[in-house]
Amino acid sequence: MAKQERSGGSILQFSPFQSFVDEGFWHRLSSLKLNKFGIDDSPIAITGFYAPCSHSQVSNHLTLLSESLPCDESEQSSVPAISLGNRNRCSVPGILYNTNTLEAYHALDKKSLLKEEAKKIWEDIHTGKAVEDSAVLLRFLLISFADLKKWSFHYWFAFPALVFDPPVTVVELKPASQWFTSEEADSVSVACNGWRNSSLTAGVPFFLVCIASNSHATIRHLKDWEACQGDGRKVLFGFYDPCHLPNNPGWPLRNFLALICSRWNLKTVHFLCYRENRGFADLGVSLVGEAVITIPQGWRDLQCVPNAVGWELNKGRHISRVINLAKSMDPAMLAISAADLNLKLMRWRAWPSLNLDELSSTKCLLLGAGTLGCQVARMLMAWGVRKITLLDNGRVAMSNPLRQSLYTLDNCLNGGDFKAMAAVKSLKQIFPAVEAEGVVMAIPMPGHPVSSQEEESVLEDCRRLHELVESHDAVFLLTDTRESRWLPALLCANANKITITAALGFDSFLVMRHGSGPLNSSNDVKAESEIALSGDMDSLALADSGGERLGCYFCNDVVAPTDSTANRTLDQQCTVTRPGLAPIASSLAAELFVDILHHPNGIFAGVIADSTNSGGGDQPLGILPHQIRGSLHQFSQMTLVGHASESCTACSSTVITEYRKKGKEFLLPAINHPTYLEDLTGLTELMKSASSFKLDCNNETDDDDDDDDDYVEL
Amino acid sequence: MDVSCWDGTLSLNEFSRAARTFAEKWKIGNSAFPPWLWVNVPKRPFVASQQVDGFLSLENICLIRPSKVCGAEVSHLEEEETGFSEKEVAIDDATLVLSNHHEMHYYDFHIVYSASYRVPVLYFRGYYSDGCPLQLNEIEKDLPACSAKVLLESKWTFITQEEHPYLNRPWYKLHPCGTSEWMKLLFLGEAALAEKRVAIELYLVSWFSVVGQVIGLRIPIEMMNDRTN
Repeated sequence: MAKQERSGGSILQFSPFQSFVDEGFWHRLSSLKLNKFGIDDSPIAITGFYAPCSHSQVSNHLTLLSESLPCDESEQSSVPAISLGNRNRCSVPGILYNTNTLEAYHALDKKSLLKEEAKKIWEDIHTGKAVEDSAVLLRFLLISFADLKKWSFHYWFAFPALVFDPPVTVVELKPASQWFTSEEADSVSVACNGWRNSSLTAGVPFFLVCIASNSHATIRHLKDWEACQGDGRKVLFGFYDPCHLPNNPGWPLRNFLALICSRWNLKTVHFLCYRENRGFADLGVSLVGEAVITIPQGWRDLQCVPNAVGWELNKGRHISRVINLAKSMDPAMLAISAADLNLKLMRWRAWPSLNLDELSSTKCLLLGAGTLGCQVARMLMAWGVRKITLLDNGRVAMSNPLRQSLYTLDNCLNGGDFKAMAAVKSLKQIFPAVEAEGVVMAIPMPGHPVSSQEEESVLEDCRRLHELVESHDAVFLLTDTRESRWLPALLCANANKITITAALGFDSFLVMRHGSGPLNSSNDVKAESEIALSGDMDSLALADSGGERLGCYFCNDVVAPTDSTANRTLDQQCTVTRPGLAPIASSLAAELFVDILHHPNGIFAGVIADSTNSGGGDQPLGILPHQIRGSLHQFSQMTLVGHASESCTACSSTVITEYRKKGKEFLLPAINHPTYLEDLTGLTELMKSASSFKLDCNNETDDDDDDDDDYVEL
Repeated sequence: MDVSCWDGTLSLNEFSRAARTFAEKWKIGNSAFPPWLWVNVPKRPFVASQQVDGFLSLENICLIRPSKVCGAEVSHLEEEETGFSEKEVAIDDATLVLSNHHEMHYYDFHIVYSASYRVPVLYFRGYYSDGCPLQLNEIEKDLPACSAKVLLESKWTFITQEEHPYLNRPWYKLHPCGTSEWMKLLFLGEAALAEKRVAIELYLVSWFSVVGQVIGLRIPIEMMNDRTN
């Protein structure tokens, strides 16, 4: 509180002004800086607003709003200014120095800037302007640097106050209701409310309170000082006090006292710290005090500007403030929060157990950036997937943009951009926060033999693909040939990754999830034992028994994948499909994927039986199908189940074991030798005997979907 | 209008009337709070509407948070050094050094009419005492305990962030998609006691009795009971 010592009382201590900057001010400053000021950093006249304290526990602030900055004629109010009338917005002049760099900001000579503003106040006191327009006593200074790349604003306020040397002392300071008689108090309240309610005077923060001998109080303008002198009259100097503290007046009193003593040569001043409650004068909270001033040497002299203090402390420290508004100004961040809120809406309204964290952290690998790849990528992003890798070795061709939704004509020019890279760029334009990567690479395929010179690089590609599969959580097989899906399917089975295949015919499609791999990887031991503990043995994919594991894309094959592209007619090579198919199949692939993620058993999930005893029972998922086959020819769709085949060229334990054991000695023959895989898996044997597979279907069998060698895609 | 065939919505004109009624009743019944003010929206040149457009505004509602224990608290402000070598004289003997650093949260509320849903929508935002905006997770901490429950359980009220229709900055709002449904239920319930008429002027009063709970602004019983005004 007040310090002790000094004759005549203790030093009067003033509560510093506190600043408040509305977000709108920074928005407006940014826009002015970008559109109008450019690199011009000359000082800008601004307006601050404040009002008397209206809350017994909280002080009011000196406020800056977007209206504080100069108005631009062209921006004529498309934004409504909240017209509270000027009773709650007392205007105060200020000046803004906004620098172009952070270095310039720190290099500003704060001492001299403060002195300059203090000089203006001093001059206004001496010329009498402060009596006419007393708000100039509260002139303030703001320095700032607006970093428009990071959307952060460095700033520092100063509220210049002329220093009395020796300091002003206080003889008494008490609530106004205790100082006035009760009649005087009533009269003062009425007069103050009148002053506050009149639009002529509501914005005038300094005034005289004249109390006649009959206790009648009037509020007068400062310039009426002479008229207020008279017999038996008490005159107090009143001001709007933003401070709420019971033992200290607010900052505005400092320069007010400077005005009083230099203008009217008073050594004893009775002052009223005017404060309100709920819009009315509150004399219990308002303070009346008696200050004793020793007029300092040289205060008569206009040239002799007193010292000034007033740089605002930041939590008690003499340092600048920084505010970061990226979250509300940076478009990329706004896009992120909008997307997040959108997904949360889904969770709130329809799917309480939607696991957004899982979706945003699952790493998805999309093999193929064509019609299927583009659509799946978009759908995944819409679901909140943020980590997407696209692999494709092709370039965008002129016909692509029509059906491949991430490309535009620009991508086709100059020979065409690499699809994987163009797709990534497009994804980032849609949603900047996506972590998308492109890989330009060809997938080694069986039936497309490689020469010995190429072996090294093909094996390198195999190794790279192996690593990509290992480093992602889910893989989507979205290429345009059957044989290009073989190696990925094998690698996924080997690594036991969630794998989704989508494949297109002319007017039919297949979307399926591969079953789990045949052998345990070390991760799976834990997962499997957890499932075993839960008693859900039906859905457990048991290694080596082959029986209950769901199949992969190749499990139905009777022949190993071969070169399907040679010796085909043009339309078969160009894989002409009905345009509507790819979006349908892609959407189903994405939805199936999301369902798998939410199934407690994930990749190990069976189909129907165990989805009913799933967790909270609140999954709006119906079944978790294995295969979805649809046809536009009849606008029909059905779900099928296929179990893993022990002779599968991609996911059988034979093949996986061989791959793990022999690595490139397995891969090279598989790629080069037409019958290697068939021999290895025993398909050759199988062909020789006259056995047939049993496919159990949920719905009636569709004749179309049995293996049809001509029908390359499915 | 008969309650049974009412769809729970109101027109822009009805909204303006209901807003006036609401503001008046609030002033009388809820004097602990500042009044709601009507803000006129300047007409956009290409909009042919003759109607007066505007919204209700209640600003600078202060919430005092208990001061945090000093220590490893994360300040929302980044602090930085001045880079000055000379020690500035910041304060003199006459400056009171404030020691009590309560954290203050301020809130602004706007009630805006949504032309597409034909219902009122509550927009709000929070900020610290220096103007830095509050994030949603911080606002949620300020909401009363029962409101968090309402937000979680109810399919009809949840908070989203959107551009304020007039101020062009992101504000939070209570999503209006369920409003007409529960307003109809609310009025049906009241109509059972009183007349069959829908007193549309009281729309906002009833609406706020639900919505206010979410943000912790209670409507006193007196406001609700007075039907005759």
